Amino acid sequence: MKGEWLERMYRWFSPHNGSCPVCGRDRRDGAPPLPVPIRHAAARQALSSLCGDCMRAIPWIDIAACSICGRPDRCGDCLRRSVRHFQCCRAAVRYDAVMRDWLALYKYRGLERLEPVLAAMLALPAERLLSRVTAFAVAAVPLADERLRERGFNQAERMALRIARWYRIPYLPLLRRVRHTDKQSFKGRGDRLENMRGSFAAAGPVALLDDGKERNIILVDDIYTTGSTINECAYVIRKAYPSCKIYGLLWARS
Amino acid sequence: MKAVVYVAITDEGRAYPFWTVSWETDLMFWMHEWFRLAERAPIPHAGAQWLCRLRPMLPLGAAEAVYERLKERMERMGAQRVSPEEASRLLQEAAGPGQGNDSLRKKRGRLALWGFRTRANAGHRTHSVAVDALRVADWRRLNGGGCGGGNGDADGNGCGGGNAKAGGDGGESGFSGGYAPGCGNGGVGAGADWHRDEAAKLLRAARQAGRQLEGRSLLLDEALGLLSQADSGDALRHLQLAALLGEARLAAAIEPPRGRRGLRCRRCGSGENRMRRSACASCGSDSCAVCEACITMGRSRACGLLVAGPAQMASLGHPPHDAGDSGSPLFVDRWGLSQPQLRASEAAVRFLREVGDRGGRGRDERRQAKRASAGEQHGLSGRLSRAWGRRLPDRIRRRLPACLLRLVPHANRELGKPPSRRFLLWAVTGAGKTEMIFPLLEEVLSRGGRALVATPRRDVVLELAPRLAKAFPGTKLAVLYGGSEDRWSNAPLTLATTHQLLRFQEAFDLVLIDELDAFPYHNDPMLHYAAMKAQRRMGATVFLSATPPHAMQREARSGRLPCARVPVRFHRRPLPVPARLTVPPIAKWVNRGRVPAALRKLAHESVRRGAQLFIFVPYIRHVEPIVALLRRHAGDWGLSREAIGGTSSKDPDRGNKVTDFRNRRLRVLVTTTILERGVTIPRSDVCILDAHHAMFDDAALVQMAGRAGRSAEDPKGRVFFCSAYVTRSQKRAKMQIRSMNRLARKLGFLEETPG
Repeated sequence: MKGEWLERMYRWFSPHNGSCPVCGRDRRDGAPPLPVPIRHAAARQALSSLCGDCMRAIPWIDIAACSICGRPDRCGDCLRRSVRHFQCCRAAVRYDAVMRDWLALYKYRGLERLEPVLAAMLALPAERLLSRVTAFAVAAVPLADERLRERGFNQAERMALRIARWYRIPYLPLLRRVRHTDKQSFKGRGDRLENMRGSFAAAGPVALLDDGKERNIILVDDIYTTGSTINECAYVIRKAYPSCKIYGLLWARS
Repeated sequence: MKAVVYVAITDEGRAYPFWTVSWETDLMFWMHEWFRLAERAPIPHAGAQWLCRLRPMLPLGAAEAVYERLKERMERMGAQRVSPEEASRLLQEAAGPGQGNDSLRKKRGRLALWGFRTRANAGHRTHSVAVDALRVADWRRLNGGGCGGGNGDADGNGCGGGNAKAGGDGGESGFSGGYAPGCGNGGVGAGADWHRDEAAKLLRAARQAGRQLEGRSLLLDEALGLLSQADSGDALRHLQLAALLGEARLAAAIEPPRGRRGLRCRRCGSGENRMRRSACASCGSDSCAVCEACITMGRSRACGLLVAGPAQMASLGHPPHDAGDSGSPLFVDRWGLSQPQLRASEAAVRFLREVGDRGGRGRDERRQAKRASAGEQHGLSGRLSRAWGRRLPDRIRRRLPACLLRLVPHANRELGKPPSRRFLLWAVTGAGKTEMIFPLLEEVLSRGGRALVATPRRDVVLELAPRLAKAFPGTKLAVLYGGSEDRWSNAPLTLATTHQLLRFQEAFDLVLIDELDAFPYHNDPMLHYAAMKAQRRMGATVFLSATPPHAMQREARSGRLPCARVPVRFHRRPLPVPARLTVPPIAKWVNRGRVPAALRKLAHESVRRGAQLFIFVPYIRHVEPIVALLRRHAGDWGLSREAIGGTSSKDPDRGNKVTDFRNRRLRVLVTTTILERGVTIPRSDVCILDAHHAMFDDAALVQMAGRAGRSAEDPKGRVFFCSAYVTRSQKRAKMQIRSMNRLARKLGFLEETPG
């Protein structure tokens, strides 16, 4: 009995670590060590809410082997692409089965408590990109109205807003979706490229961008598969503001 | 989703508030009197003369809150005649800032509290929201060809005066005579060319939707699946019409706050502390609440629609023979129940009959409830709860000892009063619970009722389905689990995973909940709410468990919860009583590479007597190292290394390992609580390592101990609690097993064997 009471006292005085936002289990140990360098305190804090198991399951992209799309291994897509409208893309993680589950939890199940965690993961490539270029604005790939109403939020916009707030860059809604495309996830490479043509438009004139100076714009999306979405969006933005340079910031690279 | 709030003023001048998710359906409903001849319609046989609506569509939750306030107000006004101007003023008042002394409310306006930005609360002192009024007769005359055309001409019908009063916003706020269609009302015509048979078609569709929804409680997406309609516009029209006809009930999935109670999820009953608010693109609010407690079953949010079937008052038919006759048996035993099983089943059936006879809530119960609430108001608990505010955050609640929690009435009782029609069937592990539920099901089914059997795990559902089908050959059986085919079929007998309970409302005369203390709903108030919701008003809930939670045990002991105990297994031998061994905690020896002598000795003993040995450990991470350690000693016990294995919830090969263990290919199995229930191994011993661990509560200990001695050939399995020190859980588990044995002996159920 004495042992039990000691145990209780111990529990009473020990800090309660809360539960992991992804798996929902109580976190026994304290904050797990962060395996990648992220400087922003808010992002670090969001990530430290994960339990050790979930933290270890994240397949970070530490070194981008393809300097264009940020893929961690050799990349044929970028060699095959004839016209590229964006400067480069950087992604936070590989899109493996675990990451697919996480994104599905957030996007389709609507588990919005994952939002800070996903945005914090995006902070890794964001910081690396921002150390090279000075960004003028952050934009996000838009969602079709119908899909937006159904889901209640645009995941890319939510992440972009957080990144914008953390790194003090203005967020500009530069794009809108004019055509409702079928879900990308069921398509092959050729179809994806075709499918994207003409589905975005500039959202209206932004006076700040009209002066013809060279501006760097960061464009946020959740997944990069062939780059067709980012490329199309970059094309639309550059058509409206030819002096802009577009940098893609992706949560996952598949 | 957004909704329109409006007031209908009848020919006699009485006003009734409504909200609608499909304004054009409501327009149509009021234009054409033949819709209103339905029996359950809100204002039978009376047409509306005026309709006054709030021009902006509100997020569903906000609309419902405004509607509630309006209704309250209008009920207070009684039979007073209401003019359209007055109705509009009332509407504006209800949507505007509250009168309360809540400073936040005063500052931001009620709609702003809901995260809805009206232009009025952007800083003006006068808060008013635009209201449109339309005279039904004029509307009928003006709109020959459908309601698409915007009619600007406000014919001077005496309501233009409202315009002058409305301050601040000019044309936007205030009161306009003509109806300016601001929000999508195309589609349904309301004029002369609109035929009666089309109305009949709509009516039929609405009635059918109502019938299909009977007993269900579904989110809009699920309802669309049930009605098998891809087009949500059409389905919404039918649902709205069904609601107007009283054939269905629509509500926001999250109940708006009322008085001091915060938000509440209508589907799972969770309170404010499980809500998350976020900006929502489907209703435009910037703090739309989502319930995180039941999010695995689809998102229940403040602007989401929860669809339920019509309210029902049907009651069961009479029992086949007279209940008062004590001589005749209550039911014919055609399942071969043993005497202890029979005794418990009879008690449960008697309870079902009593409950059926009792009808609604008895006077005694009502009085008791009243007394309880009065006590709360005046007693210490009331004061405390006022002082502490209504809700206690989870992280604080988890830390409070039970004695303090009891003082805070809302802390653990936010889900309302427990249902009064409950029965506990407390049967020891291995008593044959499944057979005991058959008479109960028969009782309800034979009287034309519906019954539900809910069990926590999907594999149990799949295993139980053929047995139920065999026991009730003439009855249609629906089997529900995530992704099952029977999802939308209604059957008298339903077998489901416990999660599926949430999708029903007033559907069953008997809700049977198996293993109520098992994993997904361990001590979760959600389960009780769901059971209460799924049960019909005259129905009953029966809980089955070998290890009911403490609160229930207490209730059963004090007689507040009717209960039948089955203290003995089918082979009528006493349950093995656990013995305690002092063994150091796992962490102390597992990394040093030596197995404590006591553990080695008991394993050797078990192997020698030819028994299978379960070794339970608290954490998955301990399984592998202990298997490796034990394998070193396999030779000493005359076993091969492969005869010792381990498994856990993360092991994909779990099923095979359990089969191997059953076939005696594995002799020692190291595992976690994943195998604490549902596994029956004929000749087995149980050893629980780190039994002092906080993870093992008394229920878990009793369940694990229940793995031993389950067969008639070897009823005396051995059970050991290997712990560093004795805990309350261990004591209680032992006490519970002993008391069951004692009861069995007293009732003469035991067959004592010599030796």
